[in-house]
Amino acid sequence: MSNPEYTNAVKEFLYKMADDQLIIGHRNSEWTGIGPILEEDIAFGSIAQDKVGHAYNIYQLLHEMGEADPDTIAFQRDEKDFKCCHLVELPIGEYDFSLVRHFLFDHAELLRFEMLSNSSFEPLANLAKKFKGEIKYHVFHANTWIKQLMNGTEESKARIQSSFNSVFPIAFSIFEKSPLEDVLISEGVFEGEEILTNKWLETIRTIVNSCGVKLPDVPDKSIGYGGRKGYHTEYLNPLLLEMTEVLRSEPGAEW
Amino acid sequence: MKIISLDPRIARLSDLPEESETVIVEHEEGWITFEVFHQKKKGTRHTHVGIVHAPNAEMAIVFAKESFARRGPTTNLWVVKSEDVVATDYDDSDIFDTTPDKQYREAGFYKTRNKIDLLKDSEAHE
Amino acid sequence: MYGGGYIGEPEKNQPQVQDDPEKLAEFEAKIDRGEKIEPQDWMPADYRKQLIRMIEQHAHSEIIGALPEGTFITRAPGFKRKMALMAKVQDEIGHGQMLYSAAETLGKTREQMFSDLLSGKSKYSNVFNYPAETWADVTIVGFLIDAAAIVNQVINSKGSYGPYCRALERICYEEAFHLKQGHDAFVSLAAGTPMQRKMAQDGLNRWWEPIMHFFGPSDKISVHSERLMRWKVKLASNDDMRQQFLNTYVPKVWEIGMTLPDPNLRKNPETKQWEFTEPNWDTFFKVINGGGPCNKERLAVRKWAEEKGRWVRQALTNPKEKYTVPFA
Repeated sequence: MSNPEYTNAVKEFLYKMADDQLIIGHRNSEWTGIGPILEEDIAFGSIAQDKVGHAYNIYQLLHEMGEADPDTIAFQRDEKDFKCCHLVELPIGEYDFSLVRHFLFDHAELLRFEMLSNSSFEPLANLAKKFKGEIKYHVFHANTWIKQLMNGTEESKARIQSSFNSVFPIAFSIFEKSPLEDVLISEGVFEGEEILTNKWLETIRTIVNSCGVKLPDVPDKSIGYGGRKGYHTEYLNPLLLEMTEVLRSEPGAEW
Repeated sequence: MKIISLDPRIARLSDLPEESETVIVEHEEGWITFEVFHQKKKGTRHTHVGIVHAPNAEMAIVFAKESFARRGPTTNLWVVKSEDVVATDYDDSDIFDTTPDKQYREAGFYKTRNKIDLLKDSEAHE
Repeated sequence: MYGGGYIGEPEKNQPQVQDDPEKLAEFEAKIDRGEKIEPQDWMPADYRKQLIRMIEQHAHSEIIGALPEGTFITRAPGFKRKMALMAKVQDEIGHGQMLYSAAETLGKTREQMFSDLLSGKSKYSNVFNYPAETWADVTIVGFLIDAAAIVNQVINSKGSYGPYCRALERICYEEAFHLKQGHDAFVSLAAGTPMQRKMAQDGLNRWWEPIMHFFGPSDKISVHSERLMRWKVKLASNDDMRQQFLNTYVPKVWEIGMTLPDPNLRKNPETKQWEFTEPNWDTFFKVINGGGPCNKERLAVRKWAEEKGRWVRQALTNPKEKYTVPFA
């Protein structure tokens, strides 16, 4: 295995993970101060911070591998150089949308990091172990909400079901393979998106079945694809422009 | 009247209410309260740190984690419904008044050393 | 954080409640001895009423206060600033939550407090009726307004009501980080490029009047405020708190070469008192009564949050559960 190919495969993988975390953390932070109840506002805000923190840690690892520093990576790349999936780019919608997205995404993260704690790429295995506790809480939070809302009023059940109908098909965008995935698999860095998808489906189905959600059929799981290759929804560019607005106002300055 | 906010998050929100619109938060929507107890590290006692509004104990734990364990070390949390806490009345705090007077319950009350010294002195003089 | 200038009710509106004179004497003796009053203690009707009003205003100020800085949550420049701002604004909501809890122990429900905020009946600190126009504004709010709030909070944490003191202790602890991150971000601008320095100076020029309004007008010596002082509900005059703030923080602004838009601002070397141009109190009252640039927006956003969140709260309400007033 030629070293540059291995390095590129790992970097590509790290970029997509970090970009996902950054964008979903950024999206979730939009609820700070306007959540449905104070205690939940506080909790969701923490989860958003954790995600941005995870992104920072992964960008930091990329920096140690020769990429630019985290602020430069996150705040100065063009839209086409981002590798986040379509799911995380979508606007926050109403609270049911954000909760269902949080549920679907965070379960995938938990399983992904569980798999990565055995990665042959040690720095990544270490990060996975470090994030474990936080992600465990994120999933506990999501599970609790989904179960309780599905046991709530007719309105809450209808909203959650409706959000699953719209979000579940796009959630498969998480599992779009990076171009060099085969290298990751053969080198033992990561077992692959296919295995992850199956674990995720099994976990999700068990939970949603037990609380009465009916998952929609998804004949084409690739409808949300493109993000891993730099093709994004119409929502990412405005998000990036907003996120980088102050930084871009004075390039090179210290803030 | 359309509100133009400088906050892009707010500007994106559709249907901000009009000034004249009355919004009331009903009491029932607010849920009951749970008292939260927090343990810093194993071996130390749980201490009362405040309350969370929650519909049930499971949610109360979810909320308590971020409301009260956002800073500093934590190893464990308890939540108890406020209505389940039984407390003494401050009007009855006189039942505790004489506790400090009961010196015979304190180690420092026993001046045994004095007795031993006196005994030794009298033995020496014999 | 909180703005002082606690908005008391006009004296003529206050009914004369006759408290049991023996209990009142006992109560006042307790306070003189430095003892704390807990929720289940006997307390004069007016003590309960004024405390609810004061703590409630403080709580509202926290959650409304989250909105000006929240303006830049999605635009903070770089990871350090982004995460610090996310944490800080989240803390404000957390402080609101703790303060509502303290007020709840006195018998007013949280939902009633929210409804009174939304109807305009209950007030919040005036300073949050102004917009955060630039990133520099965010740093100024985090630096100077949190500083003013800390002055207020440290003083009030020595008050007589147990639950409020306990909430304030925790708030003061978290507030220390707010001040530090605000100051740090502001100094970065002052030490930065000409554009950044200008942004910082412009921000100071715009925010100075609201900051000078923060502690409220000079206190009138009245029977009412004298009694609140005796009950340790009010612990220092507005003037004293303002002096303390100016004394600590004006030098910090000047030491980095920034100016403040008041040519009369100086510390008198003989009296050791800070002299300044008296702020325009008509403006203060106009803003507190709805005439500020952001009053409508602040309440509209809170109304939106309550309305949009209603289905969530209702979904999990269990009619069989009985609410009790929290303990402490």
